Order: sequence, then structure tokens, then C-alpha cells
Amino acid sequence: MNLRGLLIRQWMRRPGRALAAALSVAVAVGAAVATWAAADASRVGYKRLTEAVAGVPTIDVTARDGKRFDAMAVPRVVDVPGVRAVVPLFYRPSLLRVGESRLREVAVGVDVAALVSAGLLTLESGEPCREDDEVVLDATLAKGLGVVVGDEVLFFARRRVARMRVTGLAATDSLRWFAEGATVVADIQVLESMSLSTAEVDRVRVVLAADVDREGVLAAVAERLPEGLVAEVPAGRASLADDVLHSANLGLDFVTALTLAMAWFIVGNAMLMNVAERRRGLTLIRVLGGTGRQVRRLVTVEAAILGALGAAVGAAAGLAAAAPISAGIARALQTRAGDVVVHPLLVPVAVALGVVIAVAAAWWPARQATSVDLLEGLSVLPAKPARESMRVLLVAAVLLSVVAFGCELAMAFGLLPPRASVISGVVLLLAFVAFTPFFLIPLVRILGRLVPPRWRIEGRLAVEQIVRQPIRTALTAGVLVVAVSNGIGLGHAIRDSVDDVLGWYGKMLRADWVLTQAGALSVSRQERGAASRDMEAEARGLDGVADVEGIGVATGRISGQVCVVIARDLPSALPLPLVPVDATEADVRQALERGEAVAGTVLAQRTGLKAGDDVVVEVFGRKTPVRVAALVVDYTSGGASLVLRRDAARRLFGMEAADVLLVTAAEGRSPALREPLEAIARKHSMFLRSFGELRGFIDRIVSGVVGSLWSILGLGFVVGSLGVANTVTMSVLEQQRSLGLLRAVGMRRGQVIGMVVLQSVLLGAAAGIVGLVAGVTTALFIQFASQPLLGHPLALHIRPGVVVANLLAALAVTALAAWLPARRAVKLELLEALSTE
Amino acid sequence: MHAPPTILRTERLEKTFSGGDAQSAVAAVGGVDFQVGRGEFVAITGASGSGKSTLLHMLGGITRPTAGRVLLEGVDLATLDDDALAAIRRRRIGFVFQRYNLLPELSLLENVSLPLALDGATPARCEAAARAALEAVGMAHRGSHRPDELSGGEQQRGAIARALVTDPAVVLADEPTGALDSANSARVVELLQRLVAERQQTVILVTHDPAVAAAAGRIVRMQDGLIDTDSVGTPPP
Repeated sequence: MNLRGLLIRQWMRRPGRALAAALSVAVAVGAAVATWAAADASRVGYKRLTEAVAGVPTIDVTARDGKRFDAMAVPRVVDVPGVRAVVPLFYRPSLLRVGESRLREVAVGVDVAALVSAGLLTLESGEPCREDDEVVLDATLAKGLGVVVGDEVLFFARRRVARMRVTGLAATDSLRWFAEGATVVADIQVLESMSLSTAEVDRVRVVLAADVDREGVLAAVAERLPEGLVAEVPAGRASLADDVLHSANLGLDFVTALTLAMAWFIVGNAMLMNVAERRRGLTLIRVLGGTGRQVRRLVTVEAAILGALGAAVGAAAGLAAAAPISAGIARALQTRAGDVVVHPLLVPVAVALGVVIAVAAAWWPARQATSVDLLEGLSVLPAKPARESMRVLLVAAVLLSVVAFGCELAMAFGLLPPRASVISGVVLLLAFVAFTPFFLIPLVRILGRLVPPRWRIEGRLAVEQIVRQPIRTALTAGVLVVAVSNGIGLGHAIRDSVDDVLGWYGKMLRADWVLTQAGALSVSRQERGAASRDMEAEARGLDGVADVEGIGVATGRISGQVCVVIARDLPSALPLPLVPVDATEADVRQALERGEAVAGTVLAQRTGLKAGDDVVVEVFGRKTPVRVAALVVDYTSGGASLVLRRDAARRLFGMEAADVLLVTAAEGRSPALREPLEAIARKHSMFLRSFGELRGFIDRIVSGVVGSLWSILGLGFVVGSLGVANTVTMSVLEQQRSLGLLRAVGMRRGQVIGMVVLQSVLLGAAAGIVGLVAGVTTALFIQFASQPLLGHPLALHIRPGVVVANLLAALAVTALAAWLPARRAVKLELLEALSTE
Repeated sequence: MHAPPTILRTERLEKTFSGGDAQSAVAAVGGVDFQVGRGEFVAITGASGSGKSTLLHMLGGITRPTAGRVLLEGVDLATLDDDALAAIRRRRIGFVFQRYNLLPELSLLENVSLPLALDGATPARCEAAARAALEAVGMAHRGSHRPDELSGGEQQRGAIARALVTDPAVVLADEPTGALDSANSARVVELLQRLVAERQQTVILVTHDPAVAAAAGRIVRMQDGLIDTDSVGTPPP
């Protein structure tokens, strides 16, 4: 019988202990796999949501003077890393006749077949148009007109009136990223020919791969362009989704990293208890002549075997859970659920990770087991906590805190990217866990005093049981601390970020109806200005309209950085739709009236400009000096915006046109305005959306993101609960002899159960309090990390609901986790319990 | 008659347990000079706290002395590193404890063969040696049983077999009858006496039971960490 045989005998004798240790690895690996899959599903969901709302990520190549240009002038850019496709676009306003209906619509010319085959255009029915007399229609328009595939429509173009067959109906969402309001899609060469505009395009839209660095691709494409062409992020295409999802993505990274940390605690604790429970046996092997190396090998081989078994089970369970979790997240994001794509390396890596974590977690207790004094190790009395361990823990806690705060400082000074906050946040949380034994013991003693007098004995014994094992207590509490701080920290960070964005939109979109210019027609600025004035006048003239505010949007450049120049009427009767930073609303309004501008905080961050600076702004190829009076919080184009009054924009840059009209209805007249506003929209090739629809879009993103994050947080809590249940079960197993002794001296079974449950609840309460502090710090870390991207600080609002829900969940989990093993322990025969080694 | 060759010797052996500061330090053994010849049966007696168990633990290399030396077959245990000390414990010392300390998950035969298994012996050799050791203590018929299926006396005899399995230079027994009734105590003592007589096995046992001590050929009485008397034959009154 060798040591391997001894190992097998030990498992056979105490299958529960081995099973619990393997289960801890299964929970940890399963959690890691499921969280990974869920986070992936969320990212895919975010991407689909972003595409549905804001279109696929693109950059545009346009002529510097804003006119059409020869598509052949654009050099080859499809080989630039991160470029998915290059799509020349040609827009043409036209008249469409369907039966007796005559409609002013915008037609867009593209290579329809290529877009469909690249998955960039989805046809709900039919096939791409290929011939001269074929078109594809927006499915929503076709539905409204009662047009089906195979029908014919009359198309009025400059060259001729053509009878065209509808070959396919395009999904409206899939048109959004390139059609700019166009509802008729034709082959680009056919449309150009019909418009007497051969080989000319309005723009070339470069479609980017997902998760690519847009700024990097932009620079690479711009480098290849000849004089006269510019590459830019499409103006007015607010990177709304990016902004809203920024914190969510950070949150996802946090959740994933913290789940891994939690997994480590769960496994670490299980391995610690697995070894601690066999302290006498392992010492005896040493007394009989076994070397420290032999004992360490015994423990680590065991950890490797249990780790591999647990990891295999955990990976399978995680994969099984991934599909329903992903489907749930897709439902939360209101996107179609994608197939769960499992990377071929995921399972082997997860299993290897499980083994590595298990062995790493067993290494320290194995070292402890072989360094303990032989006499102490043989003693039937529980081991005293080693002073050296506590010292090491304190040093580790201090070092981890220094690293975490150092990272934050480095991020504040721009030495580290904001994403480093994920690492620093996790490091800080590890520091909290390392500090836990020092906070936890006094905290548990204080909480122990709050136990009602009728449970005084149980409470006293429960406190002593917790206090005598500070390291094990810290690891068990560590799982809870991570789970609670996850819930509280991310809960607050998510809500604060979302409220920040929603608050801004609340101020920004204060109208009942929004008319949006497609912004892509290559008419001259003068033509657009004139058309825009007519449109505004028509809107103002409608019965029931209280106010119309025009907003002009143009792409500008400041210090080489692309920005969005926003020209607004900013009527004095309405509150300022901007949130000034370090300035009053009155000051900002006065500065704007003087013809000065205000800059978005992100633009200020990128260009280094400050309030009071004079900057040169390039718009429509014209460079004009402008004074920046103040900085404002603005999420348009990622906050990289320059806002000024329309009269000033007209004077400084020649910005005449209103690309957006905000129409405020008189009291109770909003619904009645839909029809006349739709008529204006059709006439001027605009989109009409009600404020509610727009809010619906934003709410859809926000609720989806929040829902998906809560799902993953919930998953984290379930994992934490399983981890706590497992460690509490092992802890009760370890205490079996002590519990038997208590019963032998007259404690009733109910009292023993009460003591075990109290022990768990006290631990849960103390860990909940530490988790609360850690959670608030985590929230501050996330918000601090968001600052460089958002350009302004986010205020932390403590939400009692989130705090109470998390603390109550922690207490409930710990109470339930202790109840079952306690019941099982007291059912054991007294003699059996007392003879437990 | 020639004196038996010395197998174990101590020189100014001391052990102090520090309680964290000088005031709370306890001198358990304070300068013991002592030697044991091959085939001697020595009983160390004394009141609780007299230092007898600590002395035995130092003799077995379980605890390192604070000062002085333990020489087993001429090897100074204090100069050995942990692995070398473990090898000495494995090969040259047999331990018998008051609480038997058999591993509950192993059969008696496997428990007895454990020191050989730790030493890398082949399974066949382990089994043969363990069977012989069990035979020597009259427990061969119980080899396949697990400790919880044996009585206290049987477990202790099994533990003695385990101590003998490597043919050690010395068997150290710490209160081997402390957990047994008088009948079983007598059987264990008789067994130890037989081992000394028949195999020339050196045995040092710690006991506070005068009847057990009386069975030994030599009785060392300790008091306050020092040897008070060291007598051959009947114990002092």
C-alpha cells in the first residue's frame, strides 16, 4: 500500500469530504465557464443592439468640400486591419409611384448582392436586385404600401421614369447603418446612370469588424487617402451605444474577473479545510517517517485529481448552463439569441485551470501541514492560527492596497488605460479579503452581542468557532465579500452611469417630436439651408405647435481631432440642455449669446482644451477661431462635441441647415401633430420620430444592458451561494467531533443546529458589512475609471434598496447553507460523531 | 558481565517552551544526561509536568531540543535536516502512542506496513514484514480489519507491530497503557517484555503507572525536568 493507495482509502472512508472538495472546483470552473459564456453572450447582444440602434461601426470617406467624388479616387483600404467591408454609397431623392400613391423617397445605390452576401443587408423576402429595372424596398415602407415581391413601382429619376420590379424587401433595421433614411435600394451603377452621375459617390462607408479600435482604423485609412478626401466618424451618428455600454463593458470585465477571484476563494477554502481536517493523519505520517515532500505530494496529487474531476464536471455544467443563460441575456437585450459558440480551447483550458487552481490552493495548506510542529499536529485540540500566517496576510493586504491605489493614480494621470481599473478593482477586493480576518473578528464579536439572550450560549459558541479559525473564516467570508461587493458595487455603478446618461437625455430631448435629416444628401450647403428654413417655417406654422428648435450638425476638427459641431437655437424660455462643469447655467448661456462655444468633456479630455481657451475649428474646410467658454457634459458622438448657438454657427462656419428639428406641441396636441409632421418629413426627406420612440430606443439599450448585467450578477450570487454552501458544509463536517462533544455534555439537537446556523449567519452579516464597504469602493473605482472616457465625474448615490437586498441575500444564503449540514450532523450517532478523526 | 553497547545517549539535553516572552517560558527538560544500552527496557516515570513525555519526544526526534544533544547509534539528531530526521524516525525508531494513532481509513495490515511504504519498500516486502510484525504481537488474524473494528487493546498491539515493522533500534512508547483497562494493560506490558527478552529490542516507555514501570528493567524517575533517580530493578517507593 503506497501513498496513492492511502489517498484512495481516505476518499473511500470520507467520500463526502472528497466530494465537497471536488464540488468546490466544479462550482468554480462551472461558474467561470458560465460567466464567460454569459459575458460573451452579453457582448454579442450589445453588438447586435448597437447595430440595431446605431448601425454597425463605420467610418466614412468623404470629399473635404462635401461634394460628390469619383469612387475610383479612394485607394484600396479593405486590407487595413479591422476593415470588414468597403461600401460606396450614392443617394438620390426621387419620387415613387405605387398605384395611386406618390411618395417622395430617398434612393440609395449600393452593390446590393454583395451587401446581402456579406451579411450587411438582410432581406426579409425575395432576392437582391441585379438588373436595370429592379429595386429592393424597405420592408416597413412596402408593408405600408401593400407592396410585395414581384410588384412593379414607378421610379422618377433625372434621366427617365422607369417601371421597376421589386425583387426583395429589406429588413428596416439592417438598412439603418447605410441608408440614412433611404427606403429604395438599387444597384449603384443603375442609380448613378439614371441620375446622370456616372462613377460619382456621396461617400464610401468603411464597415469595421466588431470590437475593433475605431480610432486606429480611422488613422490607418486617413493615411492612405489623397488630398481632398477625408476619413471621419460619421457626423451626428452618436456613439450612444458606446457611451451607454462603456460602464456596462467595464462591469462585464469586473464580473468576469471577480467570478474568477470568487472561484479561487471557493477552491482555496475547500482545499484548506480538506487538509486542515486531516491534520492529525498527515502529522502521523510525518511522525512515522514520512518526509514533508511526501506529505506535500500526497496533498497536491489529491488536489490535482479532485481538481481535474471537479473541473470536468464543472466545465460540462457550465456549458450546459451557458445556452439558457445566453438565451436569457438575449431576451433581456431584446435581440435574437445567438448560437453559443464554444471556443475549442475553452473546455481544456477550463479543466487545466481547475487543476492549476486546485493545486495552487492546496499548496499553502500542504505547506502548513508539513511545517506544523509534530506534537501540535498530533493533538486532538484544534490548531491555533499561526501568527506568521496573520503577519503574511497583513503584509499582503497592505501591498495589494498599495498596488490597487497605485493603479488608480496611474490611470488618473493617464499612465494606464481606463480598463486597468478592472485589474486594480480585483486587486483591491483581494486586499479587502486579506484584511477580512482583522476586521471580521471584532465585527463578529460585536454582532455576537446582538444575539438575543435566549440564544446566548449558542451565540457565544458560534462566535468562538468563527474566531478560532481566522484564515478559514476569511476565505469563507471572502466568497461572500466578493458576492456582496459585486452586487452592491456594480449595482451602484450601473445605476449611476445609466442615470447619468438618462439625465442627460432628459435634458437634451425635451420635445414631443423629432425630425431628423438624413444628412447624407450631396446638395450644397446653401440649398440645404434654404430647404431647412422652409421646413422650419412649415413646422412652426402647424396648428398645435408650441415651439420648434433647429439643431445643425457638422463634422469639425480641433487640433487634428474629429468632433461634432452642434448648432442649436437654445431658446431662452427653455432650460439649457447641457450640464455645465464648473460653471453656472447663466454664465454658459451668456457666453453662448456672445458667440462663444462650449465643449464636451470628452473633446476637452482628448484635445487638452480648457474653459477660456481659444481654439481653431475646421468645418466645411474653413478654419475659424472660436473661444471655448466652458466645458459641458455631453454624450453626442461620445461627448466629443462643440456646441454653440445657431446664429453664431451660421456666422462662423456657414452652418445654415437644421439637421434635427425638435418640435414641442401645445398642451394635449401632440398626437394630432403626427400626420402633418409626417407630411413635412416626407416632403423634406426627414425621419419623424416621437420623443417616446426615441426614449424607447434609449430605454431599450439601457434596460437591456442593465438586465443582462443583473443576470450575470445574479449568476455570480448563485455561484457565491453554492461556494458558501459548500464551505459551510465542509466546516460542519470538520466540526463533527466538537458538535458531538457538545451533545455529549447535554446540548439539545435543536441547540446545536441553532449554533451552526448562528455561526453561519454571523459570518454572513460580518462579511456583508465588509462587502458593503468593498462594494462602495468598487463602485467608486468603476466611476473613477469611467472619468477619462466620459470626461466628467459621476456622483455616487447610495441606494438603500440595493444595499439591503444584497445584505439580506447574504444572510439568507448563509442561513440556508448551514441548515442542511447542521441537521445532518446532529442526526449522527453520538459515538460516531465523537470518534470522528 | 559486560554492559550492553550504548544505543541512545543524551548530553545536557534541554527543552524550553517559549510563551512569547521570557517570563512565560517554561523549562520542560533542563539538562538531562542519560544513556540506554541495546536490549534495555527503560521506564521513565514522574508526575504530570515532570518532563518525561518531552524527553521521550526529543529522543524520538519529534521535538528538537533547545540545547544539548541526542545521539542515536552515534548520530546526533540535532544536526540532521527534516528529511534526514524523518528517515531516522522511519527506519530506526518505532513509536507507540497512548491513543494508538492508527489511520482509520487503512486496514491493520496496511497501518503496520505504512513506515515501510513511506520508505519505498515493495508492496510484497511491506506485506511480508507487516504480517511478521503482526504475528509477533499475536494479531495476524486481525490484519484485514480496520481500526474501528478492533478493541483498544488490539489497536495498541497493532500499533506496537507498526513500531516493530522496520526492526528499529529503539521503540519509544508514550503511556502505551494509558487508554487501556488493566487486563489489556497487562497484555501490552507482557508483549513489550517478551520483545525485549526474545528480540533484544530496546524499549523506552513513559508511564505514570507504577505497575507498568515495575515491568521494566530500569526505572528513570523525573522531577521538574531533571532525572531524580535512575535505578535498576524495582521502582523506588
